[in-house]
Amino acid sequence: MDSGTGVVDGADTARGSVVIVDCGDSGVVAKAVGMDAERAWRTVHALADAFDAVRLAGVHGIVPTYDSLLVEFDCADTDHDTVRRVLRHEADRLGEGPVTPPAARRFVVPVVYGGEFGPDLPVVADQLGLSEREVVELHSAADLTVRCLGAPAGAPMMDGPAFPRPVPRLSSPRIRVLPGSVAVAGRQAVICPMPSPGGWPLLGRTPLRVLEDLDADPLTAYRPGDTFRFVPITPEQWDDHAGRSLAVSHG
Amino acid sequence: MADTLNILRAGMATVQDLGRFGRSRYGLPVNGALDQHSARVANVLCGNDEGAPLLEITALDFSCTPSTDVLVAVTGAPADLTVDGVVRPRWEPLSVRSGETIRISGIRSGIRVYLAVLGSFDTPYLQGSCAPDTILGFGRSLRDGDELGLQRHCPPVDHPEYRIPLFRLRAPVPRLPTPWTIDVTDGPDLAEFGDTADRLFRSEFTVSPQSNHIGLRMAGDVPRRVATGEVLSRGVPVGAVEVPAGDELLVLHRGRGVTAGYPVLAVVTATGLSSLGQVGPGQTVRFRRRTVAEAVAAHRSQRNAVHALQNRVRTVFDALRIPSSPARTVPVSP
Repeated sequence: MDSGTGVVDGADTARGSVVIVDCGDSGVVAKAVGMDAERAWRTVHALADAFDAVRLAGVHGIVPTYDSLLVEFDCADTDHDTVRRVLRHEADRLGEGPVTPPAARRFVVPVVYGGEFGPDLPVVADQLGLSEREVVELHSAADLTVRCLGAPAGAPMMDGPAFPRPVPRLSSPRIRVLPGSVAVAGRQAVICPMPSPGGWPLLGRTPLRVLEDLDADPLTAYRPGDTFRFVPITPEQWDDHAGRSLAVSHG
Repeated sequence: MADTLNILRAGMATVQDLGRFGRSRYGLPVNGALDQHSARVANVLCGNDEGAPLLEITALDFSCTPSTDVLVAVTGAPADLTVDGVVRPRWEPLSVRSGETIRISGIRSGIRVYLAVLGSFDTPYLQGSCAPDTILGFGRSLRDGDELGLQRHCPPVDHPEYRIPLFRLRAPVPRLPTPWTIDVTDGPDLAEFGDTADRLFRSEFTVSPQSNHIGLRMAGDVPRRVATGEVLSRGVPVGAVEVPAGDELLVLHRGRGVTAGYPVLAVVTATGLSSLGQVGPGQTVRFRRRTVAEAVAAHRSQRNAVHALQNRVRTVFDALRIPSSPARTVPVSP
């Protein structure tokens, strides 16, 4: 690697390490390596919280996901060295003790599976070598953990259900996916909060309103670490839930 | 009655600012003016906060008329700027009298023009910014007949009869080279492209019509990913150069979703992104490889020139007793 990406800064410990690399002239990425998925995720989110709390001038945004944390900044108002130093300092502090996630809440999400609500259910069942009923059963069998919030806005990106293998993306993405659509891809699951384009196969749709107030801070009722439990309902039960807020569905 | 800027011919124009900062953790793209440099300069020339709401006018002709005397500045791509039919300078503050018509036509070379007004506009905010977000359905294109509330008026500061400006501020006007040269630094996944990575710098790429504020698609001799295997979704920066599939590069711009699963070959620099905000469909682009240090130096030099301009504006506005402080505090950072 040359000077564009050459600054690698790692601290090896028995429990893996956080590697920090430049990502363009306005970004730095911290990546958790050499640890299991759960610890990597806890590490980058705890690091995101700790970094956020520093309120470093010039920082525009942070994106913690599964095993990496992107920090974007204005390189006229701060610099790579400062951002890397703060990340290193906070990562080392985290490395000294156990990283515990915040208390998780559990959201219960009614879903109408298949048909016009989940047009890709037959294709996904085919690809997995399962019946549609088995796909639905697996999707609603366990609490799924939210790992990060993604595009287009506040989308809860979860660990996927215990399918036998990853689910391929659609060869041709949809121009418009309806809000509340419940989708899977790879080993991930998501609810689409807003009408938007999407390339993930759709299994069903929830009548709940996922985002309550677009101007709320934080934007979402849920946060990474919370869990979602999908519950199959019939199309006739749609109206019993329509317009209710996901925010009040936990318990 | 409150004073307004009345839109006669809207073309493709929106109310913009520099973006919705500090919300990417919630999955919100930053959005904001695609040519950040021109947008900053337009506001600074009017004595506004750099991040104050202003108009972003894309490609099509535009005209408007204020209901009171105002001070405006027009920056961005070359275009014909007239006030009541008389050609006026771009990249300088400009007095416009109540009822006169500001017309911007013949936008060329680039595709985006910025129009700022001293004191800025009344405009709705969402998550700390007025920048349109097409996915959230926030912010809309202006329409003929719209009236934007003005926060201030400004008595004329040019010669009452000959309209000669009383000062020249010499704003930093960026060059628009043809073909466009866009600076990039190496991306974090460069190695995954093996020997093919160099293709990015060897030939020209043509911008496709399927390009917008989310990203620009470009056709050409694209590098190929040599490594295999799924990439776990992770944060991708504005400016990320990706090769999703087929024969097109995808260069992410300010409306990009914050996470993606494609490897990042290169990252467009901060100054390169302002240039890229001017590139239109059908135009060709060459990429130039820069180190992070070179890219940072270029961005700082551009920002320093804007700060120096800010000081000149303050001196001139103070001397002429032009009210230069922004009418509202605009949130810029988290």
